[in-house]
Amino acid sequence: MRLAALLLATALAVAHADAQPLTPPFDDTERAAILAHGPWPPARVNDPSNRVSGKPEAIALGRRLFFDTRLSRERNRSCATCHDPEKSFTDGRARSLGRALHDRNAIALANLSLNRWFGWAGASDSLWAHSIRPILDDKELALSPGELHKRVSTDRNTAARYAKVFGLQADADDPELVLVNVAKALAAFQETIVTGRTPFDEFRDALERNDRPAQARYPLAAQRGLRLFVGRGRCAACHLGPNFTSGEFEDVGIPFFAEKGRVDPGRHGGIAALRASPFNLLGRYNDDAGRSSALATQHVEPLHRNWGEFRVPSLRNVARTAPYMHNGSLPTLAAVVRHYSEVDEERLHGAPERRLLKPLRLSQQEKTDLIAFLRTLSGPVAAAN
Amino acid sequence: MRRLAVFAVMLALGADTVAADQNRPIVDAHIHYSHDTWDVLPPPEAIKVLRQAGVKKAFVSSSSDDGTQMLYRTAPDLIVPVLRPYRKRGELSSWVRDPSIVAHVEARLKANTYAGIGEFHVFGADADLPVMRSLVAFAKARKIFLHAHSDADAVERIFKQDPDARVLWAHSGFDRPDNVRAMLAKHKMLWADLAFRNDYAPGGRLDAPWKQLILDFPDRFMVGTDTPSPERWYYVVEHAKFSRTWIAELPPDVADNVAFRNAERLAAWALGQ
Repeated sequence: MRLAALLLATALAVAHADAQPLTPPFDDTERAAILAHGPWPPARVNDPSNRVSGKPEAIALGRRLFFDTRLSRERNRSCATCHDPEKSFTDGRARSLGRALHDRNAIALANLSLNRWFGWAGASDSLWAHSIRPILDDKELALSPGELHKRVSTDRNTAARYAKVFGLQADADDPELVLVNVAKALAAFQETIVTGRTPFDEFRDALERNDRPAQARYPLAAQRGLRLFVGRGRCAACHLGPNFTSGEFEDVGIPFFAEKGRVDPGRHGGIAALRASPFNLLGRYNDDAGRSSALATQHVEPLHRNWGEFRVPSLRNVARTAPYMHNGSLPTLAAVVRHYSEVDEERLHGAPERRLLKPLRLSQQEKTDLIAFLRTLSGPVAAAN
Repeated sequence: MRRLAVFAVMLALGADTVAADQNRPIVDAHIHYSHDTWDVLPPPEAIKVLRQAGVKKAFVSSSSDDGTQMLYRTAPDLIVPVLRPYRKRGELSSWVRDPSIVAHVEARLKANTYAGIGEFHVFGADADLPVMRSLVAFAKARKIFLHAHSDADAVERIFKQDPDARVLWAHSGFDRPDNVRAMLAKHKMLWADLAFRNDYAPGGRLDAPWKQLILDFPDRFMVGTDTPSPERWYYVVEHAKFSRTWIAELPPDVADNVAFRNAERLAAWALGQ
């Protein structure tokens, strides 16, 4: 009997070996840094530039269009081809394959209401404007506004939904306006794609309310990884806040040749495209009468440093959205951690003393811990049905 | 629909296509041609990029120095060779404490022609370390300039070691215009490049304090792209266009000085031309 009790105690001890408080415990600075990554989920806010944002009929229309292959020239692909719900709204490929190979990785669609800029280069300042790009892009859906207008207005069901959402008849509308409205419905649906609470969120909230038993349920390896993330790793300098991103753009030493002899200019090209776009928030399709939503667009200027900068992606659900980086060049989280551990600093501009990004020279244990932490950022993905 | 067509072109190009009819020659005083660039942009291709940008001369340094030598052999009329003390990538943080750098630099100086030593990274009191002192001594002996990516403190220390040194201050030290002004006023042999910073001309228009500073020191400023990675070579043309845009705001003689004459004079002095 005593042997049985001993065996049970040993088994329990083994099972919970990784579930205990970190030694030494998080200090006040670390605690503040950790708490800054929450709470989650954030309150939902409608997009003032999109008058149908948050409206159930628009969300339903947007959902229908998101999966509708008639949005592509050859009627053989839809938004969901590269943003597959079964793959956390990515396609699992390094670089997306539409009508041709794309230069970039399909970025995961989730928590998009929190973005200021959209896409790897921030070429759009609203989700609806960004939804126009793949429709027109010759490598993606490649549909002209005229053909889109025709397809929307001649399909009875879609035309009826369109009329209900926008109070307009699609066949009477200008093709450009139909394009914008389709994109606004698509945006309304995409805004509903959100990631749920994660083991990290449970830990973070337990830390906030000083609930030690609940804190101890968070794996020790993840706690060590979290300490690295907010401390020596300086990861939280860019992957900050509840969505684990600054929402801005950085050059992290990833080569950015799209092919031999051609570079992907990243944010620099993104700003140029944004400023030239008739669909930016300074244009006539912004539904925000006060135009306060356009303030950032009014002031954004291309800088030399923007050449080859790409979006700092959110890390929520990062373990489910491989491969990584703007061109999908890093296949696993281990490869990403290795990159930051051994980053080629001469690819980066600036004096080493003043540069944020430096080789971290992580031990194998530290790399494992950091990955353990990143894996705790996964939660269920929900989208409007 | 026409606007849509323009938008589509912008998407395709992925870059600002605003035309600039500016033919003013440029001397790009801040170019690197390091080993990872050689394969993707062999010397003839690299030279083609510089000529396409309307670059009259380019101050080139590289890790290793072999890159600079290859470019110089390909286009001696275009390339102003500058000796970077780093033998390979990874020495950027360690070189100033590595005594073997001294022999390397000395051997290279004996073997090849150089207008300067740099661009090196040194800050504060590190500028008084023996390796850096050797570089200052080499520059003095050979009458060539030093291209220093440094704070004002390190520049002061260099001038203390050799009051007659000629220093090209990379990125104008990323310092504020009033501090740059103070340094230029104090050191008559200090030049400043404006590479990799936008604050002096946000949106391509000269900022008032910087404009006044350039007008007050018309013989001291030069422009440069800075190409630490191969991909940035594809920005040289864009950067030249940017430079011509704000330079055009200056009186013609000052504009020519900043665009090419100041750099040409410094190179001519160093190369004994």
